Amino acid sequence: MTEAIAVEGLSHNYGGTVPALEDISFSVPAGRFTVIVGPSGCGKTSLLMMLAGLRAQSQGSIHCLGKPIPEPDPQRVGVIFQEASLYPWLTALENIEFPLSLRGTPKEDMRRRAEAMLHLVGLAGFGARYPHELSGGMKQRVAIARGLVQDPPVLLMDEPFAALDEQTRMTMGHELLRIWSTTSKTVVFITHSLTEAVYLADEVLVMSARPGRIIDRIPIDLPRPRNYEMMATDVFGRLRDRIWRQIRKAD
Amino acid sequence: MKILLVRLGLLALVLAAWELLPRHGIVNPLLLPPLSEVLAMLGELLQRGQVREALGVSAFEVALAFAIAVPLGAALGVLIAENDYLGDVFKPMLFIVFAIPKSIFLPLFILAFGTGIQQKIAYAAFTTTFVVLMSAAAAVESVKQDYLLVARSYGATRLQILTRVYVPSMLPVLLETLRISMIFNFTGVLIAEMYASRTGIGHLIASWGENFQMKQLFAGVILLAAAAILFNEALRWMEARVSAWRT
Amino acid sequence: MTRRTRRTLPSPVAMRRGILVTLLALWELVPLTGLLPELFLPSLSSTLKVLWQDGRIYGHALAVTLYEVAMAMAIACGGGILAGAAVGGLARLRVLLLPVVSSLYAVPIVILYPVFTAWFGVGSESKIAFAGIYAFFPVMLSTAAGIQTIDPQFLVAARSMGATLPQQIARVIIPASLPTVFAGLRLGGALAIIGVVVSEMLTAAAGIGYLLTLNRTILDSPRVFAAILLILLLSIAYYLVSRAIERRFVVWQSAGKPLQPAQSTV
Repeated sequence: MTEAIAVEGLSHNYGGTVPALEDISFSVPAGRFTVIVGPSGCGKTSLLMMLAGLRAQSQGSIHCLGKPIPEPDPQRVGVIFQEASLYPWLTALENIEFPLSLRGTPKEDMRRRAEAMLHLVGLAGFGARYPHELSGGMKQRVAIARGLVQDPPVLLMDEPFAALDEQTRMTMGHELLRIWSTTSKTVVFITHSLTEAVYLADEVLVMSARPGRIIDRIPIDLPRPRNYEMMATDVFGRLRDRIWRQIRKAD
Repeated sequence: MKILLVRLGLLALVLAAWELLPRHGIVNPLLLPPLSEVLAMLGELLQRGQVREALGVSAFEVALAFAIAVPLGAALGVLIAENDYLGDVFKPMLFIVFAIPKSIFLPLFILAFGTGIQQKIAYAAFTTTFVVLMSAAAAVESVKQDYLLVARSYGATRLQILTRVYVPSMLPVLLETLRISMIFNFTGVLIAEMYASRTGIGHLIASWGENFQMKQLFAGVILLAAAAILFNEALRWMEARVSAWRT
Repeated sequence: MTRRTRRTLPSPVAMRRGILVTLLALWELVPLTGLLPELFLPSLSSTLKVLWQDGRIYGHALAVTLYEVAMAMAIACGGGILAGAAVGGLARLRVLLLPVVSSLYAVPIVILYPVFTAWFGVGSESKIAFAGIYAFFPVMLSTAAGIQTIDPQFLVAARSMGATLPQQIARVIIPASLPTVFAGLRLGGALAIIGVVVSEMLTAAAGIGYLLTLNRTILDSPRVFAAILLILLLSIAYYLVSRAIERRFVVWQSAGKPLQPAQSTV
């Protein structure tokens, strides 16, 4: 099966009573960059938690690479959070090594792979720095490196650039596309920013307000590799407009 | 609501243990008299002139020491907070001051003032001043720079800034300062009374202890603990009223 | 008329050293010049002389005091940190107990000391019990507060990376708690010293506080000041050492966490 992620009839209630997600079904082909947008509180993060195996859904099924995901499986699915959540007592390199160390990977192996990731995200030479010595953008790069170090085929990202200023966001988005283009990973990316959504995605899923449902799937036909100039084009503007209209309708 | 019930339940449990364990001899009643007997003794003590006089003396010392320490500490605290240089010089020293047992200076006060009432007041004022100083400095620094900037940009005079920005902004913190300072003040007075004094409730408690008059001792402990808690909660209630606007 | 260059004040560090040196100098000179009677302020040199002469006695007393401090610390830090971690980490316990403990904090613990001397006698046990309890509550409150500052996302991230529960505890919770634990140790030690000294001064048969009181009653001022000096050195040394250790091991704890002074009442 080419579907990297298959979600079928997913519903969820908080505390058994408050409906959070309603009958969500979608699938993501392998290698696709999918972005999910929706108003605050629509359950995007909860959905991501379930895709990651961090939370159990009330109803419905989730299959990742053909198998269910009842608990976290970092070799299958890597997760990157809004706050980098780097461990302040570890250096950047040690943070990247952390998931490997949980599995008892030999030291040299860990170091080699972590250094490679550090290089990939453009932070070669910063391995010995502690998180408090890094900028917001750098911290997120380390978080991305940490998510990639086990080479999971699927990558989930929950508004990873939300805490950054706009200029850094744009740079990071571009960087992310560069990194992604060197791999064939499937990415599910959550964001509030419509510009970011159109810029990054192959397809945008629009969710409604709570209880969250998928109300539209918008293919983004812009050519790759993407560049900043595309943001000024009519096509870009129309796509972004379409998303915005959908979100407004859903409220 | 449920929490309140659980807490009351815990309290009842403690009180019941205090009553029953000594009564049934599980705990030596000579060392821990049953609660009912302690409370009875408390009632009796409050009627005795000697006890009332001691309470009066202590209350007087507490009030006077506080009256000295608060203005002095506040003035110094404001000074340290407002003047960057003085702050840089003295703040690290203050941290060390708080790490030192200030009771070691009590003999100095006794050497200077004798064993009368002045040394107790002086000592308590001495220890409390530092607490007030620290809290006052923190209070001044807590006034958000933004508030000050806005006031200045509207051309507020220094007096206006003081009364219309500093005071309302600091009021909850000031109450908290008073509350915490009083805890330390109370302790300071009691220590001085227990150390080398012939008057005051602290002295009474110490001598009851020396003479193994446990009922009186525990009665005194309950009395003082209750007074301290009541005062504390009263100020806390006031703090809450005043700081409704605070996040 | 020449323009005056802006006068620069000495650096704060230099200023502090200057103040310290001045105080020491005054300590020596003021009694010698007779401005204050030797009874009230014996000179620094006479204090040091007596300390040297009675070195054995003071050494023995110091040993007793240190023993009591260590024991009290074990109670206060061992118990306080564990209790604080439990109360801080478990929401139910916290909501239940924290306000109660905060209210109890208002009670001057010193009133319990006569109870302890009546129960345990005049020896070290009563000091250890008193100082242990005296230091226990602040350490517990401080630890509870510190535990709550740990980012809950740390554990979510660990879970997403496949950490088992033992791994979560050993690799995330414990390192994240270290700054709080160190702060608790520093606080507990400082308060234990204070508690022990106070209790030794009040009712004791040994220890530096006892020496202080003993010599006061016989009006032997140099010996009183020798004891005061020793205690000053002890508490300052503990403060500096524990701060240094804390700084070194918790170097990654970035600026932004203001250090609280030890909440001493005495």
